[in-house]
Amino acid sequence: METVTEIYFVEMLHGLVYGMLLFLVASGFTLVFGLMNVLNLSHTGFYMLGAYLAYSVTVYLDNFWLALIICPIITGIAGLGVEHIFLRKIHSREGAHAAELLLTFGIFYVISELIVMTWGSFELDVPAPEILTGSITFVGITYPVYRFFILAISGAILALMTFVLQKTRTGMMIKAAVSDAKMLDSLGVNVSLVFLGVFGGGSALAGLAGVIAAPFFTAYPSMGLEILIDCFVVVVVGGFGSLMGAFVAALMIGELHSFGVLLFPNIALAFQFLLMAGVLVFKPAGLFGEKNE
Amino acid sequence: MNKIAKLNSILMWCTMILVLIFAPIVLPVFGIEMATEIVIFSLFAISINLLIKYIGLVSFGHAAFFGVGAYIVAIVLKSVAGFPLFGLLLLSIGSAVLLAAIIGFFSVRSSPSYFPLLVLAFQMLLLTIAMKWRSLTGGDDGMPIIRPDFYLPIIGEINLIDSVNMYYLSLVIVIMALFLVYLALKTPLGNAFLCTKINPSRASHLGYNILLIRWIAFVLSGAMAGLAGGLYVIFQEFVATTTMDLHMSFTAFMMVLIGGTAYYLGPVLGVTFYILMTYFLSDITPHWQLYLGVMFIIIVKYSEGGLVGLIEKLRDIFSHTTKEVFNDVNT
Amino acid sequence: MMSILKLQSVYKSFGGFHVLRDVNLEVEELEKHVIIGPNGAGKSTLFNVITGFHKITKGKIIYDSVDITSKKIHKIARLGLSRSFQISQIFQDMTVYENIRNSVMSKMRRRLSITFDINKPKRIKEECEKIITMLQLGPVENKMASDINYGSQRKLEIGLCLAMDPKLILMDEPTAGLDAEETYKFVKLIKQITTNKTLIVVEHDMDIVFDLADKITVLDYGRKLVTGTASEVKNNEEVQRCYLRR
Repeated sequence: METVTEIYFVEMLHGLVYGMLLFLVASGFTLVFGLMNVLNLSHTGFYMLGAYLAYSVTVYLDNFWLALIICPIITGIAGLGVEHIFLRKIHSREGAHAAELLLTFGIFYVISELIVMTWGSFELDVPAPEILTGSITFVGITYPVYRFFILAISGAILALMTFVLQKTRTGMMIKAAVSDAKMLDSLGVNVSLVFLGVFGGGSALAGLAGVIAAPFFTAYPSMGLEILIDCFVVVVVGGFGSLMGAFVAALMIGELHSFGVLLFPNIALAFQFLLMAGVLVFKPAGLFGEKNE
Repeated sequence: MNKIAKLNSILMWCTMILVLIFAPIVLPVFGIEMATEIVIFSLFAISINLLIKYIGLVSFGHAAFFGVGAYIVAIVLKSVAGFPLFGLLLLSIGSAVLLAAIIGFFSVRSSPSYFPLLVLAFQMLLLTIAMKWRSLTGGDDGMPIIRPDFYLPIIGEINLIDSVNMYYLSLVIVIMALFLVYLALKTPLGNAFLCTKINPSRASHLGYNILLIRWIAFVLSGAMAGLAGGLYVIFQEFVATTTMDLHMSFTAFMMVLIGGTAYYLGPVLGVTFYILMTYFLSDITPHWQLYLGVMFIIIVKYSEGGLVGLIEKLRDIFSHTTKEVFNDVNT
Repeated sequence: MMSILKLQSVYKSFGGFHVLRDVNLEVEELEKHVIIGPNGAGKSTLFNVITGFHKITKGKIIYDSVDITSKKIHKIARLGLSRSFQISQIFQDMTVYENIRNSVMSKMRRRLSITFDINKPKRIKEECEKIITMLQLGPVENKMASDINYGSQRKLEIGLCLAMDPKLILMDEPTAGLDAEETYKFVKLIKQITTNKTLIVVEHDMDIVFDLADKITVLDYGRKLVTGTASEVKNNEEVQRCYLRR
C-alpha cells in the first residue's frame, strides 16, 4: 500500500514527464513566434508526423534507436520546406497576420489529413526497445523505465539547448533575433539563416518529441490537435517568445494535468484554462513575456 | 457616369433580393436547408470580418460568441417551454454582448498581434466549461431542441419545422441585422473604427479613445455572432460543443478569407463556396477536408483578397463599370 | 500672460537610460517657443511625455492649470493640446478631406455618434473646407493621403492638429524633408495659421528658429541648458561650448 507521499511523488513525476515532453514541443513553437511574430499552428503537425514515422521505422526496420535519429531529421526538413514555401511569401505581405495564422492552421490540417490517409485512423502501438520496458524500483517506488527515459532525453536536450543559447555565438544570435530581428538584420547578420535554423530545429525537436512520446501515448489521429491546444496554453501562460516561460509553463501544465486528474477528476481540464484566464487577466504578456505596446 | 453606376447597383441589389426570395421555389428541400445554412453563417462570417475590415483586429475566438448564442437558446428552450422566439434571439444577442464585453475588456488592451490568440484562449476556456458542465450543456453529446413556433400579427402562427419558413425567418433576421450594422458603419462611430484601424497612434493623439472604440467594435461583432448562433441552433435543432471548438473558429475564418476581407459582404461568397464545397466534395471523396484545406492554402497564398479579389481581377479585365458598382454599393 | 504649459523637474528614463533630466520649462500663452539641441538631446521624448505617450519618471506637467502628468493621450488631446510628428502620421488610406474630418469630428465631440450619417451634415463639410482652404490643400482634397506629394503631406500633418482647434500645438520638425522654397512657404503658412495659438516647435534650421521664435530653449543630453530670447541664447557660454564641441 503506497503512502500518500509516494502517490504524490509518483504524480509529480508523471507531471514532470508530460511537462518536459510538452516543453520540447512548445519550445520551437514559442521561439518561432518570438522570431517571426507568427504562431505556427502547423508545428505540432511535426510532432504528430514524428510519432507516426517512428511507428513505421520501428515496425519495418525493427530499430527504435534509428527512429530517434531519422525521424527528427525528416520532420526538420519538412519544417524547413513549410517555412520556405508557405511562410516566406506571406511574411512579407502587409497586415497579413490573420492570413499567416490561418495558413499555418491550414497546413496543420493538411498534414493531419495526409497522415490519416497514409496510416489510417486507428491508434498505432509503437513498441519501445527491450531495455526500456518494465519498471524499476527506487526509494520504495516502482516506476516505468520508459518514463525515466523520456525524462533523461528531454533533460539532455534541455541542457544542450541551454548550453547553445547561453554559451555559443549561434545562441546569442538566436536570442538577439528573437528580441529584435530587424536590428540584427541591419547589423549585417544573415537573419534569414537564423530563421531557417530555428524553424528547422524547432520542427526537428517537435518530431523528436513525437518519437519519444509514441511508445508512451501511441500514435493516434488527434494527438496533433491535443498537444497544439496545450502548447497554446503554454505560450499564453509563459509568454510569447520566452523560452524560460515555456519551460515553467510546460511544467506547470504537466503538474496541473497530473494533480488535477488525481484530485478533481471532473474539472481537471479546466485548471489549465483557468490558469490561462488568470494570466490573461493579470499579466496578459505571460509570466515571462515582455510588455506589449 | 455615376448615375449609370447607381442604376446598375440598384438593379444588382434587386436581382439578388429577388433570387433570395424566390430561391425556395426552385430548390429541393436540401437545397433550401443549404441556403439557410449559408445565410446564417454569412452573418457569423461577416461579424468576424467586421473586426478585420473596420478595426484591423483578428478575433480567432469568435466561435465563443456563436456557441454561447446557440447554447443559451437551447438551455432556455429546454427549461421554459414555449418561450417566445424573438425573446430567444434577443437572449442570444444579449448573452454574446455580455461575454464580448468581458472578454473584450481584457483583450483590447493587448497589441493587435496577441489579440487573436487571447480571444482564442478565452474561447478555449468556454469550450472546456461547455464540455464539463454536462448537466447544463449536455457536454460532448449536446442537446437536441425542437424548433419553436412563433406568432406574427396578421399572419398568425408560423411553424418553423417547415424548412421554407425557417429559411425566410433566417433571411429576414440576417438581412435586418446586416443592414442595421451597415447603417451604423456610416455614422461617425464607423469612421472612428476606421481611424483606429488605419492609424491608432495618431487617432489617439487626436482625442480618440482607442481602447473604447475597439471594445465597442468587438461587442458589436460579438452580438452579431451570438445572433447567428441562436439562429443556428434553431435551424440545426441541436447544439453541441462543436459550435465553439477550434474547428468552428477555423472554418469561420476560412470562409472569411476565401470570400475576401475587402468588402462588407465579401464573406458571403466565402460562406457559399465553403458550404457548397463541403456538400459536394464529401460526396466525391472521404478526404474532402484535405482537398478543402489545400484549396484554402492556395487561395490564401496566391490571391490577396480571396475569391472577391480573384473575381475583382477578372472583372477588371472585362468591365470597368462593374467595379465601380461594387465599390459604390459596399462601404 | 498666463503660462499655458509648465514642466517641473521632469525626469524620463527608459530602463537605466536617462533621456530627460530635471527639465524645467514654462511656456506662456500665444508664445512661439522653439526647442533646439543636437540629435539625441531628448527633444522628441520631451514631446512624447507632454502628450502622454510616455509616462515621466519624476516631476510634474501642468497644462492650462490642469495637472496632466498621468493623463492618457486622448484625454490630453481633448484639452486642446495637439502634436504633429516628424515623420508624417497621417491616415494613409483616407482622402485628405477624410483626414481633416477625423480631427473635426473630434473637435465637435461627435467622435462616436451613431445618430447620423457622417456624410450628411453641412456643418461638418464647412468646417473641413475651412481648414483645407487655410492649408491650401483644396486641389488635392479628394486624393488619397498616400498619393499626395511630400510637401502636401507635411501640410496635412499640421492640418490634422489645426483642425482640432487646439490652444497649444507641438510641432516636431515640421519642415523636415522640405526643400528651401517649400520650407520658406511652409514657415510663412505656419505663422499665418497659428497667430492665436501657442506654439512649441522642434527645429534644426537656425534661420527658421530665429525667424519664428519668441523664446528658445536649448536641450542637450536631456538637460535644459537655457531658455531665453534669440540673443540671450546666442551669447550663452554653455550653449556655445556645447555647439562648438560638436
